[in-house]
Amino acid sequence: MFAMRTLKTSEAAALLNVSPNTLRAWERRFGYPKPQRSAGRHRLYTHGEVAALRDALQQGLSISSAVSRAREALSTDTHTLVGALAGFELDRADSAMESALALRSVERSVEEVLLASLGELGERYGTDSAPWAFAARWADGWLRRAQRLAPPPARRLAVLVGDATRNELDADALAVRAFELFCGRSGARVMALPIGGISGLSDVIESLSPDAVVIAGGHVPDDDVALWAYRVRATAGPLPMALFRRTHHGAKVRTTATRILPDQPFGAHRQLLAMIDRRVTHVDDVAALTVLDGDIERREAQA
Amino acid sequence: MRRLRAVRPVEVDERGLEVVSFCGHCAMAPAPARQAQPSRVCGHCGLGLVLRATAELAPGQHDPFLVIDTTLSVCAVSAAAEELLGIDETQAVNKHIADFLVPADANAPSAENLLALLVEVAGGSAESRTTVVRPRQEFGVRFNARIGPCGPPHAALLVLT
Repeated sequence: MFAMRTLKTSEAAALLNVSPNTLRAWERRFGYPKPQRSAGRHRLYTHGEVAALRDALQQGLSISSAVSRAREALSTDTHTLVGALAGFELDRADSAMESALALRSVERSVEEVLLASLGELGERYGTDSAPWAFAARWADGWLRRAQRLAPPPARRLAVLVGDATRNELDADALAVRAFELFCGRSGARVMALPIGGISGLSDVIESLSPDAVVIAGGHVPDDDVALWAYRVRATAGPLPMALFRRTHHGAKVRTTATRILPDQPFGAHRQLLAMIDRRVTHVDDVAALTVLDGDIERREAQA
Repeated sequence: MRRLRAVRPVEVDERGLEVVSFCGHCAMAPAPARQAQPSRVCGHCGLGLVLRATAELAPGQHDPFLVIDTTLSVCAVSAAAEELLGIDETQAVNKHIADFLVPADANAPSAENLLALLVEVAGGSAESRTTVVRPRQEFGVRFNARIGPCGPPHAALLVLT
């Protein structure tokens, strides 16, 4: 389902017949091709992006115009998905996502094609319309399927998501599903619970041992969210807490010591993981200092 | 080194005119090809594609220039033109040339119809001409402009002097 060919910098440069330095200069100036990073922080280019640029360069008058043409070629998937969902064609919608995945990472396919298409449909028909409901249900199903197919957790990180969206037809719900998917694909264990469910919450938290809590969505009132957060903190102690897509009528809620994550799921998941990593590093530092202090005390006692 | 770079390899086209190659961004002549398949990307700056134009039209190393296609969209802006006009190529590409340059005196009887000329040149059916242009929304600033065909693919090269 998620077959995507990637190229190392040298391979992408060879395909484009330029030097690796030129490729990096293009990334800085044009933002294209936009690489992902491997586990070792090396650049990984999607073959589709590089191939689209190579074709565009052959007929281009400048790098800028070739980049623009390559981007246009890639946006075809979004048009296809919008058309498929507007025409209630599930198979075509699945195919559009398959095509998108051949050219991009899962994260970028979701953000640039799936969520972008749903955004366009929402603007076109309204989020209370039948076409939106059809499209949102399909997208929700697709994201859940992708979550099930994500690799098993590889890190000792766990994230508890308090789902404050209305239901899967809520415009924020898809972004929340995407956020969960990205966290899961980054190796974290993710558990999403509705904010309304208080009963038995402590059992779940003890089982999950979350490193961070995210309250996602803006439908549930603040009082209910506060009650849920209080229960979480009462069981798990003071955990880093973040808000994702928690807005009221366009205004962000006021928070104390709670991080507000970016609205884009990819940026939000990156920021959350960085927040957890910093905390883990800090805890390690504290542990190291404690050991060091103990060591000094022991030496002083011996002396 | 500078003197060596200034020497451009000259070819002669089917009309008997001398044709030179230059980078669409830094205007430098392409470096001698080291690979079996030479790249169209400029080996000096890496930010432009190598284009060809007649020797009399081609920009000097510091001449600002723009490349325009038959739809009158800006396709390339040289580094010098970015500086002169205060625009960024990445923002200017695909915008109409009239967003940046207009005829200096549209009412003068001798004034060329800039847009018609550009379309004609970009289509490959006109010779190089000279006209006077000014930046849009700016008065009292005029540039002589050499306009002629370049490519590939067919386009109009507008060199400001």
